Amino acid sequence: MANATTAAPGKGFRAWLNKRLPVDDFIESQLHGYYAPKNFNIWYFFGALALLTFVLQLVTGIFLTMHYKPGEATAFDSVEYIMREVPNGWLLRYLHSTGASFFFLVVYLHMFRALMYGSYRAPRELLWLLGMFVYLAMMAEGFFGYVLPWGNMSFWGAQVIVNLFGTIPVVGPGLVDWIRGDYGIADATLNRFFSLHVVAVPFVLALLILLHLVALRQVGSNNPDGIEIKDNLGADGKPVDGIPFHPYYTIKDVMGVGVFLALFAVVVFFAPTFGGYFLEGPNFEPANPLSTPEHIAPVWYFTPYYAILRAVPDQALGALLMALSVAVWLFVPWLDRSPVRSIRYKGWMSRMWLGIFVVSFLVLMVLGLLPAEGLYVILARIFTVLYFAFFILMPFYTKAERTKAPPSRVTMSHALIAAVFIGGLLASGRVSAAEEGGAVDICAPGEKPAWKHWAAESETDSLPSLQRGARDFMGYCSGCHSLKYMRYSRLAADLKIPEAQAESLLFPPGADKNAYITTALAQADGENWFGKAPPDLSLIVRAKGADYVYQFLKTYYADEKSVVTGVNNLALPSTAMPHVLGELQGVQTAVFRNCERKDEEGNAITESVFEKFEKGTSGRMSAAEYDGTVRDLVNFLDYVGDPSQNERRDLGVWVVLFLLAFSGIAYFLKQEYWKDVH
Amino acid sequence: MDDAMGADEVDVSRRKFLTGATAATGAVGAVFALVPFVQSWAPSERARAAGAPARLDLTKIEPGQMTSVTWRKQQVYVVRRTPEILALLPKHDAKLKDPASASSDQPDYAKNTLRAVRPDILVLIGTCTHLGCLPKQRFTPGQAELGADWPGGFFCPCHGSKFDLAGRVFKGSPASLNLRIPPYSFDGDTLIVGVDPAASPAAAAAKGAA
Repeated sequence: MANATTAAPGKGFRAWLNKRLPVDDFIESQLHGYYAPKNFNIWYFFGALALLTFVLQLVTGIFLTMHYKPGEATAFDSVEYIMREVPNGWLLRYLHSTGASFFFLVVYLHMFRALMYGSYRAPRELLWLLGMFVYLAMMAEGFFGYVLPWGNMSFWGAQVIVNLFGTIPVVGPGLVDWIRGDYGIADATLNRFFSLHVVAVPFVLALLILLHLVALRQVGSNNPDGIEIKDNLGADGKPVDGIPFHPYYTIKDVMGVGVFLALFAVVVFFAPTFGGYFLEGPNFEPANPLSTPEHIAPVWYFTPYYAILRAVPDQALGALLMALSVAVWLFVPWLDRSPVRSIRYKGWMSRMWLGIFVVSFLVLMVLGLLPAEGLYVILARIFTVLYFAFFILMPFYTKAERTKAPPSRVTMSHALIAAVFIGGLLASGRVSAAEEGGAVDICAPGEKPAWKHWAAESETDSLPSLQRGARDFMGYCSGCHSLKYMRYSRLAADLKIPEAQAESLLFPPGADKNAYITTALAQADGENWFGKAPPDLSLIVRAKGADYVYQFLKTYYADEKSVVTGVNNLALPSTAMPHVLGELQGVQTAVFRNCERKDEEGNAITESVFEKFEKGTSGRMSAAEYDGTVRDLVNFLDYVGDPSQNERRDLGVWVVLFLLAFSGIAYFLKQEYWKDVH
Repeated sequence: MDDAMGADEVDVSRRKFLTGATAATGAVGAVFALVPFVQSWAPSERARAAGAPARLDLTKIEPGQMTSVTWRKQQVYVVRRTPEILALLPKHDAKLKDPASASSDQPDYAKNTLRAVRPDILVLIGTCTHLGCLPKQRFTPGQAELGADWPGGFFCPCHGSKFDLAGRVFKGSPASLNLRIPPYSFDGDTLIVGVDPAASPAAAAAKGAA
């Protein structure tokens, strides 16, 4: 810091401060005095955005920790407590859960940028390694955090990942018990994961991020042309192709932050579960050691490695290959033998292999989300080979191909081309994913039965529908089903039912209006009468989806084979629940036909396939009236599952508009300053 | 950057304006972003539900006796005052710091000499206004350690503050204000702590009748 001249001796607080803490020196050396290449394109936003997301996770995490209670008996309930009873708790939680996915998204784009422009090449090997350690720490942090809500996916995810350590020879089995602190995933496991998630790993992450930044300041940023700006110094000793990080890139990053936060807010306020990819339905069911979810997959950012694990038909080898698929990233600086850094000047083989790699990564990501069966396994094997080939063959193709000579000075703006390139890759990834859909084992190749397409079309902002749904729930459902996370008083307030009216008409006589909505049916009685206690319905729509609940209530049919209830259900075959709404709908009959299908060994088997419903006994309602009643009920349960959702969407409109306005102003500011840069 | 800072090219006022506009918008956004975090510390719905109005059957309190009820995590003292106690109350105004409760904290309907809606029922938040201990009952007048002229009242064991049987603080106490009075109302012979008379079921019924 020899050039620290700004710390003027003088008087005043600033001078007093600088004598004791090198504030001005720091600003001078790290912001004004740090020269970055002037040709950064859109890919260079993601480093700053990753830092922003990390801070967001820290802050929201600190606030969530104030309300969350680790422990088998308390964890799940405390998350619902945050979602429903802590003021703005739902917002804190969605910011944190969405932030986790965006952190990985941004870091993946940041890593792709480094692969594209050779940002890992000497002298930036350590910068790359530190970044990879950040990524590894993030994976640990993401995994521990995923366990904390203690939903059923949390539990079984922990089960699967911890058991991976059992594949290590000799020490494996003992190691698994040691990690869990019990003979299964249990209270002890949850508590240690909580400690690691909120204390240990964040410290490690912060330290690694700091080191990553220090190393960056030491070697300077690479750029899309992959040439050193320090090789062209001007008369003033500054790089000719460099511009001071502040104001040029700070202002540019402010604009990037605005746009990023606007996109982020769209997800947080309008699609926080992101169709089950950011928050999964089965995780709204409490952890249940006796029942594995039907389809178990990690969150999207882990699925490429998960697909590799499953592609190998051997437990230990699969685990080893998965570990290698993560570790192989670390060797990239020494695998690349090209005389040039940037993909712009590398030959066609490097371009092709980078393309293959990105496609492989995305296809494996999709495959990891799908069940491991049939064609998917074969595809996973092919793309696993391609994934590794990118790395293993790198020393050969980077050396063999003919490269172009990079320019001696940086060139401006190829961002659009790069963006189109990755956009095309993403699209191709999506196409391949789409092609893989549709392997359902029904006789006539073709459509799912019609009722599986029935949609609930919930309108949770329709008060009259919610009020009717509440009335019918209290009338027909609450005798057996509780809503244990919902208070009578909140129900009345949210649905704008006057309290006196709610107390006399809606609530059971003598109910404490501040209490949670319980059922008169004792758990044990439920088990005795139905074989299974009727479940609490607070989260049924979140766990199963509105469409499923709608289909369930519409597909009861008369079935003599069902001795106890006389009815069966298409959505939930052999359901223990009688057709409670039968007096309204009547009991319809279902028409099945037999057809043949080949099983996996090629033997023909006969299968009974649902064809249509026919009118059976009549109920009090017409078909249209019954449909309306069911829709109101599902709508009501949708609201109960996420009671702040209307408030969330209303608020979201303003947040997104504000962030767009901010981005607009920041854009004009950036344009004004960047007039200087030619 | 080719000699970028050339002053003739740069529209300094435009830069200043845009910088100011961005910073101001950002600051507004930052303040709004703080709101949910700050609000998340407020009592939750669960805490509010647990802090719902508390009810107490007054017929179970003997004259001259005290009972207490918990409302919003605080001890609320309820005393049934005898005519003798009520007769003593106006006689020691000179010894009190705030005899008319001018600067003390109580609902308007309890801001009177007896500090009560019903003269016989005294309702106080049993938290010393000095540093928050629970004052003890010392209802018998003339107790030795409190002086021969002690009219009966409350004595705080932590720092020796003294209050009369209307919760008013005596001079010489470290506490400066009279004991606080929560909002309360009556439903027949039931005391409801936490509900103002205007919002009580009795008032609602009267309104309905009118």
